[in-house]
Amino acid sequence: MTLLEFARGPGMQWALVIFLVGVVWRLVGSFLIARRRDLSKPKGTAYVKAGARSMLMRSIPPHELEKNIQFQHLSGYAWHLGFFATLLLFGPHVPFFQQFLGFGWPTLPNVVVLVIGGFTLAILIALVIRRIIHPVMRQISTLDDWIAVALVIIPLVTGFLSYAHVGVFGARYETMLALHILSIEALLVWFPFSKLMHLFYTFPSRYQIGVSMERKGVKA
Amino acid sequence: MNNDGVNDALKTIKVKVEPTSPDEIDAFTLNVVPLLHEVKHALQRLLETGEPTTIDLGSIPLAPGEFEKIDAALGTGEVKVALEAMGPSQIYETQFSGVWRVTHFNAANEVVGRYVEVTRMPEILLAQETDVRIGLDLLSRKLSGEID
Amino acid sequence: MRKEQTLGEVMAANGVSRRGFMKFVAATTSLMALPPSMIGKVANALENAKRPSVIWLPFQECTGCTESLTRSHAPSLEGLIFDTISLDYQETIMAAAGHQAEEALAETMKANFGKYLLAVDGSIPTKDKAFSCIGGKSNYDVFVEAAKGAAAIVCVGTCSSFGGIPAALPNPTGARSVTEVLKEAGIDKPVINVPGCPPIPTSITGVLAQYLTFGQLPELDHLNRPKAFYGQNIHDRCYRRPFYERGEFAETFDDEGAKKGWCLFKVGCKGPVTYNACATVKWNNGAGWPVEGGHGCLGCSEPGFWDWGGFYKPLSQGQWGGWKTLGVAAAAGAAIGLASVAVTRSRQAKAREEAKV
Repeated sequence: MTLLEFARGPGMQWALVIFLVGVVWRLVGSFLIARRRDLSKPKGTAYVKAGARSMLMRSIPPHELEKNIQFQHLSGYAWHLGFFATLLLFGPHVPFFQQFLGFGWPTLPNVVVLVIGGFTLAILIALVIRRIIHPVMRQISTLDDWIAVALVIIPLVTGFLSYAHVGVFGARYETMLALHILSIEALLVWFPFSKLMHLFYTFPSRYQIGVSMERKGVKA
Repeated sequence: MNNDGVNDALKTIKVKVEPTSPDEIDAFTLNVVPLLHEVKHALQRLLETGEPTTIDLGSIPLAPGEFEKIDAALGTGEVKVALEAMGPSQIYETQFSGVWRVTHFNAANEVVGRYVEVTRMPEILLAQETDVRIGLDLLSRKLSGEID
Repeated sequence: MRKEQTLGEVMAANGVSRRGFMKFVAATTSLMALPPSMIGKVANALENAKRPSVIWLPFQECTGCTESLTRSHAPSLEGLIFDTISLDYQETIMAAAGHQAEEALAETMKANFGKYLLAVDGSIPTKDKAFSCIGGKSNYDVFVEAAKGAAAIVCVGTCSSFGGIPAALPNPTGARSVTEVLKEAGIDKPVINVPGCPPIPTSITGVLAQYLTFGQLPELDHLNRPKAFYGQNIHDRCYRRPFYERGEFAETFDDEGAKKGWCLFKVGCKGPVTYNACATVKWNNGAGWPVEGGHGCLGCSEPGFWDWGGFYKPLSQGQWGGWKTLGVAAAAGAAIGLASVAVTRSRQAKAREEAKV
């Protein structure tokens, strides 16, 4: 069995199974966990409105802090959008989703995806450098962060290399393609057990904060 | 093209028999324009250094119809030769003097090689040393009455 | 004996003119996928080429490779090559049969020990050697015996090169490639793989011509394939590549994209992972090749192509098990999640009880 056969065969199968088991496990666990009953009298009851407001407001920078976090904020948005555009709008990627969904969608010309992917990679690398040299960032970075960043960068790098038919250390295109698929599988396997779960947690937790602040009568 | 067509063309003696219009050039795909550039550089080299160039059309990943487009772009010129050696060969000068199209067929009339040769005269047309020797020998023996 | 004659002498004796020879050289140079600038060298080498003896052994094969070879589009040129090589044993096209043929084989092997070129098509069964026999002798034994005296072994087709269809899962005969059997039998011989199902006929004759011309093995890639024919990636040389770059794909075999000749990646083309000369040399007298005919590349010159999960499955798809498998995975995840919630809740309840006390 070649590396590519493994990547497209058992590798893909197990990665998807582990991803699903892990994600469902963590979602069920975190949504059904018992919370201490709040016995205080609620100071506000517009929970849905407050939750929605919090989801929105925490997705845009608060005015007074904007200057300090502008770079992080914009770069964060930019690379997330770039990453998903590269993932979803590159022609050869669509059949991967099509196999689950049964339908495809229009894609962008390769050159456009290349530019988007290139920007995404550049921003990610800039953010890694910042994480290394910024004293606060360095202090608050855990192993989980480093692995997550690596697992997002590696698929982009291997994707570029296999697209350009450039082999690293003499690897052929088949091997580069296999590494590209394997890097995504690594991302899927690591996903449920790491901070990458923020894909599912971000908005529910913002909603939750909104609700709990509403109850306390705080506008946040 | 049949022989009558060639004879007609020879009567009128036109260098550019099949001029290409800019519209046709617009329709060129992928390999045609780069190949024409390659031919252009080969022609310059022929003029400057006398070095001939052969391009093997069988080594280029041509799209359907490109082969015909290349031939159309090159057109036909003043010289057309039919060679018979281990099957026929078709050799003609294109509208660009010094650029030749050479097609070799086997005895079963199947194509075994297609080339664009940029040279003053394709070498295969020159009488070859070995063949001249054999010819000389044959003629000498004929004259001496050794053979009929 | 004619064996000591050079190709130049054979041709002169056949009344071939120098022009005819030059044509032969030009075609042979094309055949070997060498640039026209090599014509001079090839002419020199061909003129002085000696006649090697060739033994051709068929094992678990479909004769498609021999069909491909004998329908090669340059019969007169190959006729000369085959006049020049001494094809001493080829079951499909030889006149002799039975014991006569076996004797010819034994004689050739003895007389040319260490010098003959061994061509093999078909894979070799190893699970039960009796799966394929010739004259009561198993393929395995026939091959090992012939391999010992060979100067080099040319594997014609994917079966002998990599196992091919006989070795496809579940591989009931334990079919192995020539390279694997050589390793198992502890024989160290140079192997040239000319894979394909079948290989492009001119690749077969090109390799033989190369051996004839230069008396040595061609430059090989990591799978022992001649780089001259297998050095190019189908996807890189495909005339439909610009459609791939523009993101224009045929989604099915009868949609607008298919009619417009767009890229076949999404209908399962394996061109990106396949190395062969189809895009340039083409098939059937240069008439076309699979992609030009509107069908994706199957990857037939690559090891294991039969087990790549389907000819129509795009490269970016793989084994995902269907929604049932993923549903079971999700259910398993939910079960673990619920169990962990139950455990945590009971712990929390216990802790509260203890706090009350």
